[in-house]
Amino acid sequence: MNFLVVDDFSTMRRIIKNLLNDLGYANVTEADDGNTALPMLKQGNFDFLITDWNMPGMPGLELLKQVRADSRLAKMPVLMLTAEAKREQIVEAAQAGVNGYVIKPFTAAVLKEKIDKILATRPGA
Amino acid sequence: MDPQPMTQQAQSMSAYAMWVAEMARALAVDDESAFNSALNGFDAVRDTRVLTEVRKVTFDLQQALERFSRDSRLAELAHHQVPDARARLAHVLRLTDDAAHRTMDLIEQCIPLVDEQVRAKLNDVLLAQEYQDLSGQIVRSVMQLIDELEVALQDLLRIAGSQSDAPPARGNAGPAPLAGPAIPGLDNGNALSGQQDVDALLSTLGM
Repeated sequence: MNFLVVDDFSTMRRIIKNLLNDLGYANVTEADDGNTALPMLKQGNFDFLITDWNMPGMPGLELLKQVRADSRLAKMPVLMLTAEAKREQIVEAAQAGVNGYVIKPFTAAVLKEKIDKILATRPGA
Repeated sequence: MDPQPMTQQAQSMSAYAMWVAEMARALAVDDESAFNSALNGFDAVRDTRVLTEVRKVTFDLQQALERFSRDSRLAELAHHQVPDARARLAHVLRLTDDAAHRTMDLIEQCIPLVDEQVRAKLNDVLLAQEYQDLSGQIVRSVMQLIDELEVALQDLLRIAGSQSDAPPARGNAGPAPLAGPAIPGLDNGNALSGQQDVDALLSTLGM
């Protein structure tokens, strides 16, 4: 299972990468915003996208929309991991087709639970 | 309260009363042309009051702008302290980023050496480093605010016709504030750059 972790803070990318490794997911790649992530997603062989929302360049919501608009990527599981906690934002992300939404600060247990849930309900799982 | 505007107001109120009475009289005798000229008189009183107010506001604004351009404290803010504040916050971002990564370096080195229980605790320590992201986002938003403040201040100085395109001399009043940690890219005065420099200085002082 190949993960792409998108966050503008290298600290946060490293935390998520470590937690994923600890959960048994060894293949984790990093990108620092949507503009960097999108070509990687289009070229790479990723199975799961974890993205922040508030990033310079292309924010996470736009990345999510671009992913959903790309026929080859449209079904990719996307988990948003963000400090943006307003109700209308979460609704907006859901309408854009996000599969899970974790608020920072978060716990390892919550991250695991959301990933497990997304993978369990994924088509073909 | 300043008595002058009251007098002015009383004057215009009595002028209004006169024109209203005249309008009432013209209405009573069905004299349209007299009514219209009374209405024009009424409007003229109102226009005069508005003009007086506009003149007063314009005068106050001019005074304020002159005070502003004379006040080197504001130019000092625009030219030095606001850019300094941004540089300081950028440095806070780097410090917390470095510290969080340093902590994670150590955690990653420890994890293979410890049992399951300690490993779980170390993962908690790792996750706690997310403070850097959360505080960093807040710091960044304050930096954006500072950017806007700087532009606004400089616009205001320009409008005020400040002669201080050349930045004013720094700090002319009161004791110098404490510098705090040295910040790369800022003029740190005679701050030392590390413990070795400090030790060397202390050594020349006989310690």
